[in-house]
Amino acid sequence: MDVVIQIIASGLTLGAMYAVATVGLSLVYGSLNMLNMAHGALLTLGGYMCYAAITHLGFHPIFGLVAAALVCALAGLAIYVFATLPLLRAENFETNIFIATIGIGAVIESLMLKSFGPYPIPQPLAVSGSVVIGNVHIPLQNIMILLTALVAMAAVALLLQKTRAGRAIRATSMSRDAAQLMGVRVGQIYAQVLALSGGLAAISGVMISSIATLTPVMGGDPMLKAFIICIVAGLGNVYGAVLAAIVLGLLEAATQYVLGVRWSFATLLLLVILVLIWRPYGLFGRQQVVRL
Amino acid sequence: MTPIRRDILIGLICIAVALVVPFVFGGRYVVTQATVFFVWAIVVVQWNLVLGVGGIFSLAQMALFAIGGYATAMLGFYLKVPMLVAIPLGGLIAVVAGMIIGLACLRLRGPYVALLTLAIAQVMYVLIVNDTGCFTNVSGCMPLFGGVRGIGQFGDLGFRSLFPSKWYIAHYYVALGLLALAFVFSVAVIRGPLGLAFKALRDSPGYALSRGISRFKYQLWIFAVSAFFTGIAGGFYAVHFRVIGPTVFSFSLLLFLIAMIVVGGMGSIWGPLLGAALLMLADEGMKEFSDYRNIGLGLLITLFVIAWPRGLAGWFDRLRALRTRTPS
Repeated sequence: MDVVIQIIASGLTLGAMYAVATVGLSLVYGSLNMLNMAHGALLTLGGYMCYAAITHLGFHPIFGLVAAALVCALAGLAIYVFATLPLLRAENFETNIFIATIGIGAVIESLMLKSFGPYPIPQPLAVSGSVVIGNVHIPLQNIMILLTALVAMAAVALLLQKTRAGRAIRATSMSRDAAQLMGVRVGQIYAQVLALSGGLAAISGVMISSIATLTPVMGGDPMLKAFIICIVAGLGNVYGAVLAAIVLGLLEAATQYVLGVRWSFATLLLLVILVLIWRPYGLFGRQQVVRL
Repeated sequence: MTPIRRDILIGLICIAVALVVPFVFGGRYVVTQATVFFVWAIVVVQWNLVLGVGGIFSLAQMALFAIGGYATAMLGFYLKVPMLVAIPLGGLIAVVAGMIIGLACLRLRGPYVALLTLAIAQVMYVLIVNDTGCFTNVSGCMPLFGGVRGIGQFGDLGFRSLFPSKWYIAHYYVALGLLALAFVFSVAVIRGPLGLAFKALRDSPGYALSRGISRFKYQLWIFAVSAFFTGIAGGFYAVHFRVIGPTVFSFSLLLFLIAMIVVGGMGSIWGPLLGAALLMLADEGMKEFSDYRNIGLGLLITLFVIAWPRGLAGWFDRLRALRTRTPS
């Protein structure tokens, strides 16, 4: 029983972190058909910015998190202005933006490496102490991560469902042309979505680095997992992505316990391949009509 | 001059130049770096078939390279297969692996393929690096795939004992020969039925489909054929450096190779080769700034994709178009 509680606790934490990372990716893919390979680098940037704001500038931890989110939102905006906007006008947008964001991600990660060095740094935004459930000690940090993720998710859901901007985002992802004809400024929506996704990436980066450590390459692994989650859920399906993130987080915690850390990623991938053979568009993905 | 004749002419000139290089610049460093260039050029030329000609977003090329290298090394190490046999076998194993990866991901749409292939490479890396159990104890504890240190001592092509001080020149010519073969092969694919099928699928997908050109079938084919020389390049790389390790999965290397294709021009015949040559030279020239290597590569990739998506090959096409238009 204790083992089950342990697995659920760490699985939910993992799932919550992945969910925040995934929602950003999924939003961007859903509205722009753009796979943002720089997302992992934005996670790293967020983690380091939070660290820098707290230790070097002496910010209160909460403001450190906000500052990190703002910097990453700006970075997302910069990606829109300098890469997405010019590429949208040319053909082969999907391939080109994919390659361009690989380049951007490499630049951001190398800049972090240059400015903060290759050695792991602990994330100052952390709480100590733990709660005891049964015989299991659950660190307060995990609970804080879970709460932060819940707040972030709720905010995104409110934004998407209740506000004018959110309705425009949803409309754009359903049909870009129709939204444009109805007077939605698609360019503005794209900029908003990329900034929002940058901010979410920062939050997720801070959370991930608070239970692991800050390193310049920390973004790669969560990004790959976020992508896998997106794929399982169907690219662009935001709510499916949240569900899939939590399920995969629990699954990862369970495989880590049963088979060892080494096999957790391999098992995850095997599962994904099976899902994709069974349903090539993901569990909740709509089958898109192939345009000839 | 017809395009085919022009290609043959340029190719012959390149080979002639490459043949005399070791006699002009006899230094070991130049020759060895040129050999490495040939290896990357083979990979890039084959990758271009998948990425540029087939339009498949695969990032699995370095995984196939690694499979070729590891297969060669393991055949040599565990079964004592001579390298002359092991390298082609490594190529064939890469083809089989390529077909399996292809079957797993080619039913998917573009970006899904990229992620899945990237994830497959990552899993291979994680499994190899985290393996610490001893599989053999012949020369100290070694995991099945060599773990972090990789596999060494699996044999040689025999040039090291044949020309004790000049073996690297022999390797240079072997690599040159392999590159020439791989390049001719890629031109044959681009100009042959496979390339035509993809051209048809790109120009008029509906008509091509209705004439019975199956995208899936041809994609699987191009995936498999491009794996062959990639695997052989991996095998040669392992033999040349006498070791194959998990460093071949590094992201920095992947970035370097993508930059070659993007700078040269995706989908063109000469572009990847040109891009590989230029980036190798630039890399050499900027050795002092190696800290900034990845930043430079990233900026280069981004700049080219945004400003000149057809790469240097696109520049040459435009120049030629200008020249033919002016007299008329």
